[in-house]
Amino acid sequence: MSTIVQPVPRSVGRQIGRTALDWIPAVAVFAIGIGAWQGIVVAFHIQEFLLPKPTAIGHAFWTQKSVLWSQGIYTFKEALGGYALGSGLGILVALLFAAWRPLAGAFMPYAVAANAIPIIAFAPIMNNWFGLLNPFSKMAIAGVLCFFPVMINTLRGLTSVHPSSIELMQSYAAGRLSVFRRVRIPNALPHIFTGLKVATVLSMIGAIVGEYFGGPIEALGVKILNDSSYGNFTDAWAGIVMASLLGIVFYAVVALAERLTTSWHPSARAFHTE
Amino acid sequence: MSAIAVEPSRRGIVGALPRAAARALLLPLGLAALWGLWEGYRWLGIRGHWTWPFKVNDTNMPHLSKIWHAFGQPLQPDGPPLRHYLWHYALFTGKEALAGFALGAVIGFLLAVVLAHSTLLRRGLLPYIVVSQTVPILAIAPMVVLGLGTKGVNPWVAVAVIAAYLTFFPVAINTLRGLHSPEPRALELMRSYAAGRWKILWRLRVPASLPYVFSALKISATASVIGAIIGETPASLQGGLGYAIVNFNQYYSTQPANLWATIIACALLGITFFLAVVLLERLVLKRAPEHVA
Repeated sequence: MSTIVQPVPRSVGRQIGRTALDWIPAVAVFAIGIGAWQGIVVAFHIQEFLLPKPTAIGHAFWTQKSVLWSQGIYTFKEALGGYALGSGLGILVALLFAAWRPLAGAFMPYAVAANAIPIIAFAPIMNNWFGLLNPFSKMAIAGVLCFFPVMINTLRGLTSVHPSSIELMQSYAAGRLSVFRRVRIPNALPHIFTGLKVATVLSMIGAIVGEYFGGPIEALGVKILNDSSYGNFTDAWAGIVMASLLGIVFYAVVALAERLTTSWHPSARAFHTE
Repeated sequence: MSAIAVEPSRRGIVGALPRAAARALLLPLGLAALWGLWEGYRWLGIRGHWTWPFKVNDTNMPHLSKIWHAFGQPLQPDGPPLRHYLWHYALFTGKEALAGFALGAVIGFLLAVVLAHSTLLRRGLLPYIVVSQTVPILAIAPMVVLGLGTKGVNPWVAVAVIAAYLTFFPVAINTLRGLHSPEPRALELMRSYAAGRWKILWRLRVPASLPYVFSALKISATASVIGAIIGETPASLQGGLGYAIVNFNQYYSTQPANLWATIIACALLGITFFLAVVLLERLVLKRAPEHVA
């Protein structure tokens, strides 16, 4: 399922800038954006149900913060469970495919086709299979969503090794296992992280959209849907702010893990020195 | 950079023929294997009374033949068969997705052209474009559909807006990369001919960006279908596949095959969009030296 998202390439990261000075325009845009939003809503008397004021959303977020937090954590746990399940399985399957290529040749066309279908449409099926109130039903859909990008990216990383590296290893009489351990897996790390970063967002989307099709009242997705269908749009936006914060933190944690584990990689070095 | 779109390596026609034949053979084989897995698991599960990870029974795993038959069964007595409804639902959702896809692709492309020419705007806007990706965008779907709906906007337009939102990001980021992809030497050559910004843009940067744009469009094609389907569900917008999913989901315990048939229709719609972009890419990039995945 060609996901809703794709990784942000390093070149884009470079264009955003790294020093504090580079961030000034971004901070200015944030301030202007929020200010303009507030100004437009006030000036044109836009009704609350269409677009609430940022201050109203902030107020709703603050007054409901403890409920939002517990709902957010409930949904985040579902997303995290699905993420671990889907990504772990994706990496394992990719290792299997890389070790035994004919298997990959037979299955990859289906993986590509699976990429093109809206997998999220299976969310109601998962709810029926595992039970509406069972968190595992949301973990399952989040896991399926995470599986494909992680598997395909990992396989790409494992197989895009420079032939001369393999030849060098073979000239040292290295076995298959040590070629995997010392060449293929380290080489695949940046690709794996590309998949893992995409999967963070997908797992959140899987959990929340799974809850749109039904779930316990303790869940964030159920809250957002209920609030918006009863017309409490400000509260619903506060829920979205919570979902976004959790999504951003999740993504940032994985991006940090990438920094820590792949800082030695040529692509990361180029990123730092250019 | 496309997260997952896997490019086939391009060889000559000679190499392509046996590969096409192998592929044609692989498809029925793979479908047969899927059928065998499904029915095998079902048979074992029902015999062994499996309850983990889910209870295997006629409701949870209907016979595939039953799902196939569901396409031909009428919903009401003497009514048209299900496939008639699904066809019209798919056309409706496809229209929303196509409108959103076109809108998102144009906005994404124009945004990239603007950003490519201004470092200041890039510094100011790009972080938010990137952060927008870490936000579970579909969470906003109910807000947009219900909010615009109460304002008297045609609901399908609101759904198209969501599809557009999912489309624009990959296109904007990839186009920006593509516009910056020409070699410095090529830029110098253009400048030595005294070519202006517009000329460089149209003669050099845009053609160079096309492979990048198409690899984004392939991702966006499915994303727009996802946006349209999910956008329909909160509004209970009648007449689309998202509505059909919600509707048949309520009768799942008695007629599970209908929901499965609807999901198959969703899958086919997604694959159709993807293949349409692939076809367009082949036509437009016929003479491109290589594809950049």
